[in-house]
Amino acid sequence: MKNWINLVSLIDFIAVGILLSTIAMNALRRVESCVKAYRINSLLLSLLILATAFSVGDAHLYIAGILTLLSKAIIIPIFLVRTIRQMKVTHEVQPHISNGLSLLISGIMVSIVYASLSEGIFVTGFSKNVLQISVAVIMIGLFIMITRKKAITQVIGLLVMENGLFLAGFALTFGMPTIIELGILFDMLMVVLILGIFAIQIKKVFASSNLDKLTTLKG
Amino acid sequence: MNNFMIIYVLAIPVLTAFICYFAPRHSVAASVSAAGSLLLVIVSSMLVVSSFSGSVMLFSGMLFMDSLSGYMMSIIVLLGLASSLYSAGYLKHELHAGLTNIKGIRRYYALLHVFIFTMLLVTVSNNLALMWIAIEATTLISALLIGLGVYKRELAIEAAWKYIILCSVGITFALLGIFITYYASFGINIGNGILNWTELKQFAPRLNPATMKLAFIFIIIGYGTKAGLAPLHNWLPDAHSQAPSPISALLSGILLNTAFYGILRFLAIVEPSTGHQFTGGMLIFFGMASMIISSVFILVQKNYKRLLAYSSIEHMGIISIAAGIGGPAALYGALLHVLNHAVAKPLMFFASGRIQSRYGTARIESVCGVLKAMPMLGYITFIGVFALAGSPPFNIFLSKFSILKAAADTGLWTLTAMFLVFSAVVFYGMVMSFSRMLFGCGDEAPEDIDTAETDFWDRLGTGVMICLAVIVVVTGLWLPDFLNNAIKACAAVIGVM
Repeated sequence: MKNWINLVSLIDFIAVGILLSTIAMNALRRVESCVKAYRINSLLLSLLILATAFSVGDAHLYIAGILTLLSKAIIIPIFLVRTIRQMKVTHEVQPHISNGLSLLISGIMVSIVYASLSEGIFVTGFSKNVLQISVAVIMIGLFIMITRKKAITQVIGLLVMENGLFLAGFALTFGMPTIIELGILFDMLMVVLILGIFAIQIKKVFASSNLDKLTTLKG
Repeated sequence: MNNFMIIYVLAIPVLTAFICYFAPRHSVAASVSAAGSLLLVIVSSMLVVSSFSGSVMLFSGMLFMDSLSGYMMSIIVLLGLASSLYSAGYLKHELHAGLTNIKGIRRYYALLHVFIFTMLLVTVSNNLALMWIAIEATTLISALLIGLGVYKRELAIEAAWKYIILCSVGITFALLGIFITYYASFGINIGNGILNWTELKQFAPRLNPATMKLAFIFIIIGYGTKAGLAPLHNWLPDAHSQAPSPISALLSGILLNTAFYGILRFLAIVEPSTGHQFTGGMLIFFGMASMIISSVFILVQKNYKRLLAYSSIEHMGIISIAAGIGGPAALYGALLHVLNHAVAKPLMFFASGRIQSRYGTARIESVCGVLKAMPMLGYITFIGVFALAGSPPFNIFLSKFSILKAAADTGLWTLTAMFLVFSAVVFYGMVMSFSRMLFGCGDEAPEDIDTAETDFWDRLGTGVMICLAVIVVVTGLWLPDFLNNAIKACAAVIGVM
C-alpha cells in the first residue's frame, strides 16, 4: 500500500517536471537550448513510463519506455542539432511575442486546462494530474508552433505536442500494444526527418530560416 | 489462401516503386510503373470480389477487408493506374522543358507507388491505430511528392511545409481520439483494450457515450484536416495547386477520400453509442462550413488549379453532409459521390495539367480559346467542368440529387435550401471561369500552340482522359447493377442497423 502511494507521488513529480520543461521553452532564447529542453522533456517522459513499468512489472511497458528513450531522447535531438548546424541558422529564436508574455499565456493555459478538466470524465489508473498535465503540454506545444518564426522551432513545437500526446495516452491506457507503439514512433521519426529535409530546403531556396517568407500562397 | 492476397496487393506497389527507383531511362520507368499499376488492378480485383462475398481477415484481425474496404481499394487502384499512365506524358514534357532530370523522375515514380501503397494500407487496416499510422504515412509521402517530387521550386516547398505541419498537428489530435477510444474499450472489456474495428463495432452500443463524444470530436478535427473539411482546409489549395498535375489528381480524387474513410469507420462505432444527433450534427456542421467557404473562394479565384482545389473542398463538404444526414439513402449518396468525384476531379486535373504545360501558366485570365487550340482537350474539359458543377447529364448530378432527396425526406429543409443555394454559387463560379478559358479570345485564338501529339505516351494520357470522360457521362445516365449493389452493401457496413 505504502509502495503504491510513493509511486503516485513519484509519477506526479516526474509529470510536473515535464510540464515545467515545456513551459521553460517559452523563455529560451537560443534554438539549441530549445532542443536541450526537448531532450529533458523526452527523458522525463521515458523515465515516467519506466517508473510505472517497474512498479507494475509489465514487460511491454519496459519496451515502450526504452523505445521512447531511444527515439525521442537520443535520435531525434541528435538529428535536430545536426540540422541546425547544417542550416547555419542564427541562434536567436525570434518569437512573434515577448518571452514574458508567452510565459504568462502558457501559465493561463495551464490554469484553464486544470479548471476545465477538474471534474473530468476519466477515471485514470494511477494519477489524475497526469492527464491534465498532458493536455496542458499539448496546448503549450501548439502555442510554441504558432508563435515562433524559425522553421526548426515549429518542428520542436510539434514534437512537444507529441510528447504531451504520449503522456495522455499513457495516462489513459498504459500505452498501446507494442507493435502499434513501434509504428507510431517510426512515423514520428519520419516526420522529423522529412521536416528536417524541408527546413534545409527552405534555408537554401528562400535564403532564410524564418517562415515569414512563406506567405506567397494565399486565397 | 485467399487471405494472403492482401499481402500480394500490398507488395506489388512496393516492388514497383523499388524497380522504378533504379530505372535507367524515363521510358523504362514509365513502362515499369504502368505495368505495375496494371498488375495491381488485376490482382486486387480478385481480392475485391472476395471481399464483397464475405470479409477477409489476416494476422489475427490486424488486417481485414469488407465491402467498404473493397470499394475504396478499387477506386484507389483504378485511379493509381490512370495517374501512372498519365504521368508518363506529363513527365516527358517536364523533361524536355529541362525542368527535371532522370533523378527527379526516378524519385517521382518510386514515391508515387509508395503513396499508392500507403493508401491501400489504410483501406485494409482493421486496427484503428494501424490505420492512423497509414494515414500519417500518406501525408509524409505526398508531401515529398509535392515538395521534391519532380524538381525543387520555392512555392512547392512552401506548400509542402504548410501541408505537412498542418496535417501532422491535425493528425496528432486524431491519435488522441484513438487513445480515448481505446480507453473507452477498457470499460466494456476489463483488462484488455480493443483497437480492432470489427470488435469495437460489436461492442459499440455499450461504449461510454461521453467518452466517445470526446473521441469523435478529436477524430473529426484530425482526419477532417486531412480530408480538407473547412475551417481546417488551409493546406489544401496550396498543396493541390503546387503538386504536379497527376499528383494533384491523386490527392484530390483519393487521398481526401481515404482520410474521410477514417471518419466513416469511426462514425460506425461512435454513432451506436452517442446517438445520431451528435455525430450527424458535427458532420453536417463541418460539411456546410466547407460548402460555404469553398463557394466564396471559387467565385473570386484567379488560378484554375486552386479553383479545382476549392471545388474538392466543396465536394468533401457534400460527402460529409450526406454522411451526417445518415440513413441508407444518404449514405448511398455519399458513397456514390465519393466515386463520382474520384472520377471527375482527376479528369479535370489531368486536363488542367495539359493546359498548364501548353500555355505555361495557371492563371485563368491568361488562358483562352482552349477549345479552338486543342479541340479534344477542350471537349474533355467542357464535360469535366459541367460534371463537377453538378449539371444534369453527368454523374455528379445523380449523387448530389440523391443526397438532396435524402435531406428533404428527412425533413432537413434549412439544410436542403442552403445546399441548393451554395451549389448554385459554385456552379456559377466554375462555369464562368472555365467558359472564359474554353471559349474566350474570340478570333485571336493562339495559333502558335503546338497541338500535334507526338508520341505514344501523350496519346496514352489522352486515352486515359477520354476513358474518364466516358465514365463521367455513362454513369450519369445509367449506373450498372453491380455497382449499385456494391454501394448498397457498403452503406450497410457504415449504417447503424
